[in-house]
Amino acid sequence: MATERSTDGESWYGTDEGVNQLRGRLFEWGCLGAMLFGIAMVFALLAYVALDAIRPLTADPGWHLVFFLTLVAPTTALVGYYARRDRQAGWVGATATALPAFCLLVGSGVALLLVEVVQPIEWFGTTLALLVAAGIVYAHRRFRARPAEFERTLVAVATLAFAVVGVPGAIPSLSRLLQNAPLALNHATMMLYSFAAPVAILAGVVVARRRESRRDGGVAAVLTFVGGVLAVVTAPTVGISDHLLVVVGLSVAVPTALYVEAVVRRRDNLAGLALPVVAYAGMFVGAAAVAALGFAGPEAWLDWQFLTRAHSRFAEEAGIYPALVGSIMMMLVVVVSAFPVGVAAALYLEEYAPDGGTAGRVVGLIETNIANLAGVPSVVYGLLGLALFIRYADMNTGSVVVGGLTVGLLILPIVIISSQEAVRAVPDSMRRASYGMGATKWQTVRNVVLPEALPGILTGSILAFGRAIGETAPLLMIGAAAVVFSPPSSFTEKFSAMPRQIFAWSHEPAGEFRYGVLAAGVITLLVVLLSMNAAAILVRNKYQRRS
Amino acid sequence: MTNESTNEDPTRPAFAGENRTRTAKESAIKWFLFACAALSVFVTLAIVATLLFDAVEFFTRVSPVAFFTGTTWSPKIGESFGVLPLVSNTLAVTVLSALVAIPVGTASAAYLSEYATERTRSVLKPALEVLAGIPTVVYGFFALVYVTPALRAVGVPVGTFNLLSASLMVGVMIIPMVSSLSEDAMSAVPDSLRQGAYGLGATKFEVTTTVVIPASISGVFSSFILALSRAIGETMIVVVAAGMSPQLVPSPFDSVQPMTSAMVQLSTSDLAGGTAAYYALFAIGLTLFVITFSMNVASNWVASRYREEYE
Repeated sequence: MATERSTDGESWYGTDEGVNQLRGRLFEWGCLGAMLFGIAMVFALLAYVALDAIRPLTADPGWHLVFFLTLVAPTTALVGYYARRDRQAGWVGATATALPAFCLLVGSGVALLLVEVVQPIEWFGTTLALLVAAGIVYAHRRFRARPAEFERTLVAVATLAFAVVGVPGAIPSLSRLLQNAPLALNHATMMLYSFAAPVAILAGVVVARRRESRRDGGVAAVLTFVGGVLAVVTAPTVGISDHLLVVVGLSVAVPTALYVEAVVRRRDNLAGLALPVVAYAGMFVGAAAVAALGFAGPEAWLDWQFLTRAHSRFAEEAGIYPALVGSIMMMLVVVVSAFPVGVAAALYLEEYAPDGGTAGRVVGLIETNIANLAGVPSVVYGLLGLALFIRYADMNTGSVVVGGLTVGLLILPIVIISSQEAVRAVPDSMRRASYGMGATKWQTVRNVVLPEALPGILTGSILAFGRAIGETAPLLMIGAAAVVFSPPSSFTEKFSAMPRQIFAWSHEPAGEFRYGVLAAGVITLLVVLLSMNAAAILVRNKYQRRS
Repeated sequence: MTNESTNEDPTRPAFAGENRTRTAKESAIKWFLFACAALSVFVTLAIVATLLFDAVEFFTRVSPVAFFTGTTWSPKIGESFGVLPLVSNTLAVTVLSALVAIPVGTASAAYLSEYATERTRSVLKPALEVLAGIPTVVYGFFALVYVTPALRAVGVPVGTFNLLSASLMVGVMIIPMVSSLSEDAMSAVPDSLRQGAYGLGATKFEVTTTVVIPASISGVFSSFILALSRAIGETMIVVVAAGMSPQLVPSPFDSVQPMTSAMVQLSTSDLAGGTAAYYALFAIGLTLFVITFSMNVASNWVASRYREEYE
């Protein structure tokens, strides 16, 4: 051990032969530098687009100062506090801040569908008919003791058919009956019955289960419905149609309130709730102060009129609205088509698939095939959609359904693979416990595996949907329109989506389009994408902390 | 038989009852789930069938020899369908983007797997994944609107549409593919190997370059192949930023037209249904599909065939 105490900085491995660390250091810094180069390049480009789209330098210095004082400084200080002292509370705060914003996006999406695609009367009829059907099925299970499986299925299918389809030519469906009934309701009342009421029931059930108290559930339901009525009453002062405000308001308020209630009830990380209060209050105070003091905001390309107008030859008047609605409708088709099929396929491959023998080899083939499908270029999927849906199935060129189904096929392998991972992560002990209590395979899958794997499935699927919303090449192949001036009014109409519209704008040589409209379109697309990814991360974090 | 009476016994639930319908339901569900899984096979078959069907139709009008050896691509004027310029341009995009993605991606993987602390990893890895999440049309927009003028500003003589900036962006886009798959392979190298090397007096640099990377080389190579196949199939970046003029011998500073870009041009330019140009779309699609599919298969094969098995 004498060498350790040797003088002159000599180390234990010798007197005159040190190990040259320069090479290793250079390698380490080189690797880090290479990675940072890639990341920094893209983030710099993103910053450029954001600057071009928002043009913050065109605002008054006073505007910046006001918002710095009311919004930026307090939230930064608070985030700094969370980062140093209380990370758990920081996550609660981030969720509570992001949730209303995300719900606002989803709620606005539903509201846009109500404006452009589904008439409120259709929504009213269908929703109420489904509610009645659900009630009948529930009552049948409740009051007819121990019915056979077969009878249950029969009742469920029959009521559903009665509610939505009816018997063609003979008996109209309940939905149709409700739509034709001489009720003389206005749009707001219809949405109160068919949106606020179901949401109130749902909120009531959730609260009743959580608090194990029917009274609290009832209170929650009544509060929700009162909130809906309140939205109708205050609509004239806000300036949005009352039936839309019911939809948007409740989709923001109910999930937020449920989340806050959960945090308050558990009394953990209450400090986190300060973040949304400070952030949103800062925003409103800042806006009020700016209006009062008369500071002009930035002359952004990305503004309200950009979001609400159609394309125009003049850059100043161009907007993305029809493409935005088109994207939302397409995503609806994508989710409805790819999510159930993807999850079902993952469940089969993980839970049911045999291991050995010929059947096992077939399953192995399917798995390899799925992995390879994930690597097929998107433009080839576009050709598939063109041939399969447009030529053979004879659907309309460039319609929403064709676009949605094509992109749905494209992300199907991703949904399957990520769902498989989530299902695989469910511990076997839980399955065995379920079997031990006499559950069948499907009961185990439905009641144990699926709920446990759901957060993982959702995380992976939301990321896949994020990819779907940015896909452009398949839309070009199936002939989605370059420019539409009004949003599609049904799912079989020709549409344009946000990335398709961005591509169309990239042909415009004028600088106002290149550095203005195009940048604003890109930022809109990225904001939607980013909020979807943020939602996926929040779901994953919630899940990780629970387990 | 006392079966009849057990069902009436209130203390015993009827586990055995309704057995037949329950079994029927269970197996119906199983087959439904199987159908969903088998849909993927149907998709593959449908891709192959539709592409093959129309490509054969194309080859009855234009001979395969003319298609695969012709050196001019001009489907509209003169109707000459030589695919070689398109293939050469695709190859150029792939090579140039590989020059960006392979060094940067491998270096990132080595850093993340061997050097990064848990904390830096938790920041850098999601940041890298952001690169993969950005839609490709946005990358195309970056290349066209920011990268090309920036290249001009530093004195590179590029045209408005050019191979160089498009390939740069394709390269940046596929960095995360290389880095995340390579990092998985490097992290899978057992620690005992590293410790053995340290025990022999190796430095961290030597452990990384002479132990970890060689031990994980199959995974690293398979990630390269996958990333290149992604670059070959990349569409929107080249459509937006690389132009529409196929060159047999591409110059990085000029406009080119890779296969995917030609497909987009054919499909967006109001084709009449039965023309040779319409079927050419599927012939190129088939070529592209065969190339990328076989590269994916090759990537899997490399990963499993040359995997070093430990323990």
